Amino acid sequence: MVADLRCDVLVVGAGPAGSMTAKWAAKSGASVIMIEKRQEIGSPVRCGEGMSKAWLSDVGITPSNRWINLEVEGARIYSPSEKVMEINEKHAGNEVGYVVERDAFDKQLAIDAANANTTIHLKTHAKALLRKNGAIVGVKATHFGQPFEIHAKITVGADGFESQVGRWAGLPTNLQLRDMDSCLQYRMTNVDSDVRYCDFYLGKVAPGGYVWVFPKGDGLANVGIGVQVSQIKNAAETKDYLDRWIEHHPGYSKGKKIDMVGGGVSISPPIKQSVTDGLLLVGDAARMIDPLTGGGIANGCIAGKIAGKVAAEAAQTGDVSRTFLMKYDQGWRAVLEEKLLRNWVAKEKLVSLPDEIFDKIIDALAGVKLEKLSVLNILKAVKDKYPEVTKEFENLL
Amino acid sequence: MPSKKDLHIESSGEVCVSCGACVGICPLNCIYLDEWRIGFDEDVCTRCNICVRACPVGAITIR
Repeated sequence: MVADLRCDVLVVGAGPAGSMTAKWAAKSGASVIMIEKRQEIGSPVRCGEGMSKAWLSDVGITPSNRWINLEVEGARIYSPSEKVMEINEKHAGNEVGYVVERDAFDKQLAIDAANANTTIHLKTHAKALLRKNGAIVGVKATHFGQPFEIHAKITVGADGFESQVGRWAGLPTNLQLRDMDSCLQYRMTNVDSDVRYCDFYLGKVAPGGYVWVFPKGDGLANVGIGVQVSQIKNAAETKDYLDRWIEHHPGYSKGKKIDMVGGGVSISPPIKQSVTDGLLLVGDAARMIDPLTGGGIANGCIAGKIAGKVAAEAAQTGDVSRTFLMKYDQGWRAVLEEKLLRNWVAKEKLVSLPDEIFDKIIDALAGVKLEKLSVLNILKAVKDKYPEVTKEFENLL
Repeated sequence: MPSKKDLHIESSGEVCVSCGACVGICPLNCIYLDEWRIGFDEDVCTRCNICVRACPVGAITIR
């Protein structure tokens, strides 16, 4: 028999967005419980482990060798015929950055949350929401299989791509098939990756997504793929695409796999509603992943900081209404929504491009030194060399 | 004429990598990932085949 618990803010899921929310809620004076269904925070890793770095200081994360694997100089984008465009740090600002050890990163963020006085329960699985007068007031959960209840003024769904909390609360998190990538990644050893770059391969090698190679040093690399589900017809196509890519790249086919991870990544426009009475969603659960890059850590952490502060304030004032929590909804939209929307439009355009156009775009950009990497600068550069190509993009200008 | 509901849907534990891709895309939320194992609510499932396509490794079969 496990005793019921009570707190101001309950965070379901101890990934980066959850730990961030917990930390900032606790720092703002709330009593915080964070639950994680697995026995180990950060494991299994379900991530390519590439991360930008400009945002870290804004949310109070200190870079540490505990979780930074290596720092890359830039990214290389490969067109279908493998013309290469290089984006280095000078062009991309701080958009390129680290390859990380995600398990260590997630643990560090949980440690930060714990140090801010968050109570953490492992092997604790949310099973249903508790409701009172229409508002969410906590969860029914199990701890080592034993049922109990956690009563909270604010419940935070930080339960990732497969979020149940959002669905139980009736928030609009359902995805269209074109707004999800099916992903698979191998960690491989003895491969010819270049530690200076994160590499991205576009076009028919990965319809609606890309193949990535993120170097981990010493001949190790994460070699993965995302394929848009709407472009998949049969079972196991994602794996087939990745295996085929590796087979055709001798620098990788000679490698050996030591780890395999799968996953779903949303590549959707921002959700219409992220809060309801007594509850808010954050991170992948709130579909905050950048639909163009597939990156979710930065957005989840940025929103987590806002979520934690608003949740604490709601608990302290006693106003846990949807109206009050809209402060969080508006808060994350002010920072993230415009870019999420713009990148979703760009993604929709890109996934419809034939390989020949991709080749022309990358070819046009390969020889150009862009002052700053922006959609506008890219379009101008392409227009100079292949004016017929940019016609497709006029509405983005 | 047998209805689609009569078909059996299952995730092979020998193939599944417990990634949750099927759970996130299911339009009816009838797939569960209990820490490691995938389960289906066969009464709710319409055998729409979306999870079969979304599963990166082909663990889900309907037959």
